[in-house]
Amino acid sequence: MPLAKILVAFKSVPDPADAGMSSHDIASKFVINPFDEIAIEEALRMRERGDVAEVAGVTIGPAAVDEQIRAAMAMGVDRVIRVDDSRALDPYAISRILCSLVGREQPSFVIMGKQAVDDDSNQVGQMLAGLLDWPQATFVSKIEFLDNYSRACCTRETDSGLEVIEVSLPAVITTDLRLNEPRYVSLPGLMKARRKTIEVATCEQLGITVQPLTVILSTARPPKRPAGTRVDSIADLVARLKNDAKVL
Amino acid sequence: MDFSWSDQQRELLDAVGRFGREQLNYDVIAHDRDAIFNHDAWKKCGEFGIPGLLVPADFGGLGQDALTTVGALERLGYTCKDNGLLFSINAHMWTAVIPVLSHGNESQKRKFLPGLCNGTLIGGNAMSEPNSGSDAFNLGTTAVRKGDKYILNGSKIFVTNAPIADVLVVFATVDKSRGAEGISAFLVEKGAPGFDPSHRIKKMGIRTAPMSEVFFENCEVPAENLLGKEGAGSWLFTRSMTWERGCILASAVGAMQRLLETCIRYANERKQGGHSIGKYQQVATKIVDMKMRVESARHMLYHCAWLTGQRKAVYLEAAMTKLHISDAWVKCAEDAIQIHGGYGYMIEYEVERELRDAIGSKLYSGTSEIQRNIIASLLGL
Repeated sequence: MPLAKILVAFKSVPDPADAGMSSHDIASKFVINPFDEIAIEEALRMRERGDVAEVAGVTIGPAAVDEQIRAAMAMGVDRVIRVDDSRALDPYAISRILCSLVGREQPSFVIMGKQAVDDDSNQVGQMLAGLLDWPQATFVSKIEFLDNYSRACCTRETDSGLEVIEVSLPAVITTDLRLNEPRYVSLPGLMKARRKTIEVATCEQLGITVQPLTVILSTARPPKRPAGTRVDSIADLVARLKNDAKVL
Repeated sequence: MDFSWSDQQRELLDAVGRFGREQLNYDVIAHDRDAIFNHDAWKKCGEFGIPGLLVPADFGGLGQDALTTVGALERLGYTCKDNGLLFSINAHMWTAVIPVLSHGNESQKRKFLPGLCNGTLIGGNAMSEPNSGSDAFNLGTTAVRKGDKYILNGSKIFVTNAPIADVLVVFATVDKSRGAEGISAFLVEKGAPGFDPSHRIKKMGIRTAPMSEVFFENCEVPAENLLGKEGAGSWLFTRSMTWERGCILASAVGAMQRLLETCIRYANERKQGGHSIGKYQQVATKIVDMKMRVESARHMLYHCAWLTGQRKAVYLEAAMTKLHISDAWVKCAEDAIQIHGGYGYMIEYEVERELRDAIGSKLYSGTSEIQRNIIASLLGL
């Protein structure tokens, strides 16, 4: 029996191609977190293979993130819920919001990127699994369903090599870079996305109160690297490393 | 007339721009050198939805109006440097998609349009003959009805996309004594017996767009592939040619804008005699002239497309648009080389290719002389 619904969580982040910024206040262009985009792609492929009937998306942020929601819908996500909150939330707060949304949506499993490229926290998937008391498979580069969709066999990318684990569903799965290559949004996809509506919910409507436990005090662009210099000889190089760089 | 883009149009145009910039600009120099058609990029354009911009959703397209379509093609020309690929797409859209959409019967539309829209089918048309170029309706290629087939004999030259095409709109006469009234259009499919599109022609520019001479030797075409009525070919050709003239250089307007920006950048960066060359009046004047040409070309393009969208006859406007943009494109490309000096003449700088690519625009879809003839005759001369 194929699955009824996948919930894919995604975050808007400053475009990594733009600059190495982590603040929504400074960056000008935003995109779907690339790891989350991989999660969206995987969910869409599962739907196209007939593994699942519906791909629902969830994101947290102000109306400004609707642009990334439209992009997810243009890729093919059936519907998206935006939890309206413009605060800078930390991973625990985000996990609690997602947890309450899972209660409402009752998905067959949750999938998201292993981390967001702005703060690189790498915590939400794990915390959500903890709050839900669900199994988790993180850093996943391959997913296969087993035993009539009751379990998933996941290949994880770890520092010491590939690890293959089985998790029973429902579970939380976080995606690594090599799981797939996300599709390019087409014009027909863009047109279809225009007919989809964004559902907006607030923490109040979800019946939860969240307060971030960490606060970002300030963000700044990394200092510009000074231009390099050419040296004439190896002796010169060694001297410069010794006297100027003081690394020898 | 309001040429400001709506939010939805802007979203579409931005997506097209991003697509052109990120997906289509690889190995352009090598493909141009070796005259290689970029099949992979064509496939991407099809999947992205470019060829179906104008076609109603019911037949697999995006149902955009003429103005949005030329806006999208202009954006593609601005971001994609492979003018030959864009020429192939334009030939496909204006000489195959439009005739089938405008004159095809329901079953022809159902059979061909979805594939033509998503790029799985490649189209083109075959009109010019070795002895019939500007004298377009003096065709030597004949079609004779035999039972449920037409038998075509003759040859066509300068057929864009022919070596790779799945379907060509071929014009042939069913009765030479009737002149233009005898001309009919046929949808000739790849692999038809007696159809040979394999004789490739080498070109000066737009080298990545494949072109060949096509031969019909007792070529059998099913009668249901007659496009429009027998004898309606010249009318059909004139109508689709008007679309073609008005729209085919939309991407050229984008290419000119790209050239303009390239030249401004270079004129600011390149220092001679203590300051940037843009400070020299002779260079600045060239760039100002480029700007004037791009703006006037864009206005003519939009105006013609807008009129088309209003279902107005644009016979005159299309001829003027084609004439003006082709002229402007060649002059811009020539100026761009001059501004870049010796570097502009080098292949690596990708400026010389623009001139080679631009020159053909004064020849295809009716030469500049033919456009002037049309304009003169419509002015009562």
